[in-house]
Amino acid sequence: MSPSTDKKPPLRRLIESLKPHFSQGGRFASLERTFEAFETFAYTPDTVTRKGSHIRDAVDMKRAMIIVVFALLPALLMGMWNIGYQHYTADIDSLAQASCLMLSGGAFVWHCFLFGLVRMLPLIAVSYIVGLVIEFTFAQLRGHEVNEGFLVTGLLIPMIVPVTTPLWQLALAVAFAVIIGKEVFGGTGMNFMNPALLARAFLFFAYPKHMSGDEVWIAAKAWGNDAITGATPLAELKAGADVHSWSYSLSDLFLGAMPGSCCETSTATILLGGLLLVVTGIASWRIIVGVLAGGGLMGLLFNIIGANSYMAMPFYYHYLLGGFMFGAIFMATDPVTSAQTNPGRWIYGMMTGAFAVLLRVVNPAYPEGMMLSILLMNCFAPLIDHCVVGVNIRKRQRRALRVQQKEGKS
Amino acid sequence: MESVIKIKKGLDISIQGSAAREVADALDISTYAVCPDDYVGFEPRLLKAEGDAVAAGEALMSHKGDPRLRLCSPVSGTVRAIVRGAKRHIEAVVVETDGDQTSPAGDPISDSTSRQVIVDAMLQNGLWAMLRQRPFGTMANPDLKPKGVFVSCFDSAPLAPDYDFVLQGRDDDFAAGLRLLARLAEAPVHLGFRPRQRLASLPLPDGCKAHHFDGPHPAGNVGTQIARIDPINKGDTVWTVNLQDAAILGHWARTGQYRPEKVVAFAGPTAAHPQYYRLIAGACIQPLTTQQHDADTLPRIRHISGNILSGTQIAPSGFLHAHDNMISVLPEGSYHEFMGWLRPGLLKFSASRTFLSGFLPASAARRSDKSALGALQRHLRFDTNLHGGVRPLVFGEQWEHLFPFDIYPTQLVKAAAIGDIELMERLGILELEPEDLALCEFADTSKTELQALIRQGLELIRLSSL
Repeated sequence: MSPSTDKKPPLRRLIESLKPHFSQGGRFASLERTFEAFETFAYTPDTVTRKGSHIRDAVDMKRAMIIVVFALLPALLMGMWNIGYQHYTADIDSLAQASCLMLSGGAFVWHCFLFGLVRMLPLIAVSYIVGLVIEFTFAQLRGHEVNEGFLVTGLLIPMIVPVTTPLWQLALAVAFAVIIGKEVFGGTGMNFMNPALLARAFLFFAYPKHMSGDEVWIAAKAWGNDAITGATPLAELKAGADVHSWSYSLSDLFLGAMPGSCCETSTATILLGGLLLVVTGIASWRIIVGVLAGGGLMGLLFNIIGANSYMAMPFYYHYLLGGFMFGAIFMATDPVTSAQTNPGRWIYGMMTGAFAVLLRVVNPAYPEGMMLSILLMNCFAPLIDHCVVGVNIRKRQRRALRVQQKEGKS
Repeated sequence: MESVIKIKKGLDISIQGSAAREVADALDISTYAVCPDDYVGFEPRLLKAEGDAVAAGEALMSHKGDPRLRLCSPVSGTVRAIVRGAKRHIEAVVVETDGDQTSPAGDPISDSTSRQVIVDAMLQNGLWAMLRQRPFGTMANPDLKPKGVFVSCFDSAPLAPDYDFVLQGRDDDFAAGLRLLARLAEAPVHLGFRPRQRLASLPLPDGCKAHHFDGPHPAGNVGTQIARIDPINKGDTVWTVNLQDAAILGHWARTGQYRPEKVVAFAGPTAAHPQYYRLIAGACIQPLTTQQHDADTLPRIRHISGNILSGTQIAPSGFLHAHDNMISVLPEGSYHEFMGWLRPGLLKFSASRTFLSGFLPASAARRSDKSALGALQRHLRFDTNLHGGVRPLVFGEQWEHLFPFDIYPTQLVKAAAIGDIELMERLGILELEPEDLALCEFADTSKTELQALIRQGLELIRLSSL
């Protein structure tokens, strides 16, 4: 690993021999950015600083994004298991299911996981392929390096859609999110709405039949879009179910053994990922705590009102149900679309949590409120920052004024 | 003892190769340079041509906008070269010394000397150029009186020189310099000390006020200190002076002799024997660096006039820049690393905790820590590699931990990027110099050159108000 070895490893030699063909004037110059993306993926660039700070922090966008991907892995794996688990435990007659249920504990877990893996891989592949092709194209057209932001977005999108989402719909949603949600504003860093949630919202409003109701959450087969009927706990609550008398135990909910979008159900594994994000400093703990506090306070408020069984549900159930925790940790904390001042982060987080619970409990149409709440607060984040910064500006102006007055007197 | 102002935000980066407390004489260096770019907004008009003889303290250039402002030769000799860059921009005037570096002594400054006489004398011999003015960091305007003078008496930057050591034996110069500054400014002279600093125990002349700062870098940056002592408001002018420059002023005031002699630290992980050198301002560093490095390693070493966070890159045969008190050296980082972004990174330094190194206890960095952790920490790799590609700005919370001002750095940088003068002013850019954002630039994941951006913003405001 010495900085200057004369003998280069074979991969490095290959890259250097190919590079001229992908540079300006080369045969594949139109793929320059694509080549560069793969090159910097394999080897960090040898660019050096020019001025200003001569040493730089080892962290870069790739590192930051890969940490988020790592943080998503527990929830992803748990989600795969849950897809299988929901399939095998759903209430239908099937020889395969019957035989599977007789398997011993460990083998059953593997069976569930493999079923989910087979279901998830096409979703992930489509999301990454569609998104990256668009990203690479824009990078080439605009002449900048490919941004790593999509590494995360491309994984988030399949994790928050129902498992039976048709692949063509997913492809459309990804294209919409990347082009309309991000690239028209100039790419990662300049968008004002979370692209992954925008993809989810696109699907939600364009194909509501495939995104809601009781017919989308449980996969019937290891392929295709057939589904088994099964309502999410949130939908059951909406329909008047009472948490004290239903079939889910608190530990079911915490571990995520319930119908829902692919990987958003397991609060336990999401918290694990959240821990990594907070410890590494990639996600703002202020936002996460703010969302939890805002949601909790709103839940408590409803507890006090208690007009129906949903309102009377203990507030902490909101943390365990639907996409609340996933949104709090992976969506609301997107540094680009959230508030960018520390006081602003608190306000933004609290309001996101509060609106999510409000939408869940009071809104008659949608069982889940997290997606809409975060998108709404994405729109308000600049306004929140504007107000916070305004306070700072006025403080500075008052200070100047005070000095002027003092000088005027003396 | 005065109350200590605690700076909480910031970062101490501990790098191997800080200067040992010994001084070598390097007064026999033969070439010296004056670089007009060291002085913000200075538009040079040459007063000497190549081959002309100059005396120490004789003007080489004057400012086109105000001919009273002059840059003078630190030594006597002949003008060897006028180095020009693109568009015939004057980069440096190089003087080869004749060996005689003492200038004829003038009259010492006494209490009865009038302020105007002192100012004129300083403008004449170029010592005036040591006074810097904020906002904008230009040379002080002789027609404006500042609301205060700020001198930071310690440097908290990585590998920074220890001023207690540097000014050893120059207590009289120090005191005389402060007295002179107080007379020039007719305003309080604020001194920023570390707690328990030797210099702080010296008796201070009238008009000086001591302040104590504790905390990580940038506690020693004069900008941080101004913000805590008496922040700059729109319309204010303050002066900042380097501590060593104040001592040079003091020496002149005390003896009437112009002698810009400095003790600079030569430090960095590649230096064979990092130590201090006594030399004359503007000295060529080649004799020092050949002493510290083998000839064949030289091309792979970055030389920096100033500290590694905000200094200027210079050639191994380059010159010490005007406001700098140290030469830093670093290995160049032009190497590829296989899957560098995925490695655990036990030896990679980051202000974040995205690498394993982030979990090493900070206390392990101390020299005395002989434990395995301490050894690990001391082997952290520092070089000039950018560690990634340039990306659009993405704002996490990392800047907030490193920026001890009541200013929102994110919004300010955005305003500077779009060149919105009014917004920049309202957000507080006038309180800042680029070096105040050096740590943010260091930690920025998007690898944006923030210091250049802030300078660009400041210049936009300065030039629009001319």
